[in-house]
Amino acid sequence: MYGKGLLKGLSVTLSRFFYTYWDDLVWFWRRITKGKRRYYSPEGIAHRSSKEARGIFTVQYPEEKLPVPEEFRYLPFLVYDEGLDGTKEIRCTSCGICAKVCPPQCIWIVRSTDPATGRPRPQPAEFYIDADICMNCGLCAEFCPFDAIKMDHDYEMASYTRTLLNLDRLLKPASYYASIRPLNAAREEEARKAKLASKAAKAEAKAA
Amino acid sequence: MNPKDINLPGYEIPEELKHVIAITALDRLYNWGRRSSVWPLMFGLACCAIEMIATQAARYDLARFGMEVMRPTPRQADLMIVAGTVTKKMVPAIVRLYNQMPEPKYVLAMGACASSGGPFKEGYNVVAGIDKFLPVDVYVPGCPPTPQALINGLILLQKKIDKESIKQVRWYRKGPDSVAIPIPVLGPDLIDTRRIPDIKAHTLSSTSKTDDQS
Repeated sequence: MYGKGLLKGLSVTLSRFFYTYWDDLVWFWRRITKGKRRYYSPEGIAHRSSKEARGIFTVQYPEEKLPVPEEFRYLPFLVYDEGLDGTKEIRCTSCGICAKVCPPQCIWIVRSTDPATGRPRPQPAEFYIDADICMNCGLCAEFCPFDAIKMDHDYEMASYTRTLLNLDRLLKPASYYASIRPLNAAREEEARKAKLASKAAKAEAKAA
Repeated sequence: MNPKDINLPGYEIPEELKHVIAITALDRLYNWGRRSSVWPLMFGLACCAIEMIATQAARYDLARFGMEVMRPTPRQADLMIVAGTVTKKMVPAIVRLYNQMPEPKYVLAMGACASSGGPFKEGYNVVAGIDKFLPVDVYVPGCPPTPQALINGLILLQKKIDKESIKQVRWYRKGPDSVAIPIPVLGPDLIDTRRIPDIKAHTLSSTSKTDDQS
């Protein structure tokens, strides 16, 4: 009563203000002794995101970025395996499951045909994702039976016009996927190897 | 800010035009002032507004870009962040707010719904993209965009402001405006509120008829 609560609240703000400068001194000492920096360094960001942060905890975004968790998802991208002679082996078979499950219907796939026989090939000729419609739900990545479409971590996608992602912008190497989602990529790689091994064992049993 | 950034015009002039064209530093100063005080209009339409609030708060702190002053009145705002689903009922109010904003004014479509309608793009009550009614400067995809993605869009807007020249901006030119002020057109994207009594009367009359038949 009598404004005591007000003063209490203001004192919290004031203590944060002073702690900011106190933290500056603490980090100055750490920089001298351990070479750790408060800003523009991973340990600085980790400290400001932790419970120990008492003063300022602003992330200076364009210069330093908050690390995203592995399961963070933004827009989808297509994974390709790098062949031995540098060719892109696109995992996508243009089966169209992703386009069917997509809730806002933002995926368009054009199947490619073999020019010699005129029959459809398991390769996308064109693949479009309207980035401005995509709601980042990740159902396409969840349903893809070939691990061909995955959710990206890159959120810096703002543009002056509507963004339509085509095959050029969507294709990213499997090494990139392994770098942003190491645990998932390792798990899927293991599953694929186990599947191949069981297939080989079955074929052997049939032959014998 | 580094005074060199204001004084040195960073424009590329072709070699054959170097003695013809002179770019003053006034543009740089003028644009620096404008880009460092883009005040957004304070309104949110849906869940994207929560991310906009998070961007405004202490962890991301839009004050670092001079955008901390969210104006509650369109008369003092420079930027309209369309944060969320634009319903057909809301779009006349949004266009009206846009028309009340003084020049220069910018529009940032935040998130899938504002950019294109998103998951509701074929809905009966949602406008498929605010760009049908307003000239959008920056599109930020995402559902919703994270605060860092929004800041990335705002930095893109600052870059756009940096490229403008005081000699060419529309709002200081004489004569009629080159860009028509958008007026909401009554059509499939908009409910004509004046017809609500008619629709109501029509609906009621049809139900009473069926009652009679039964």
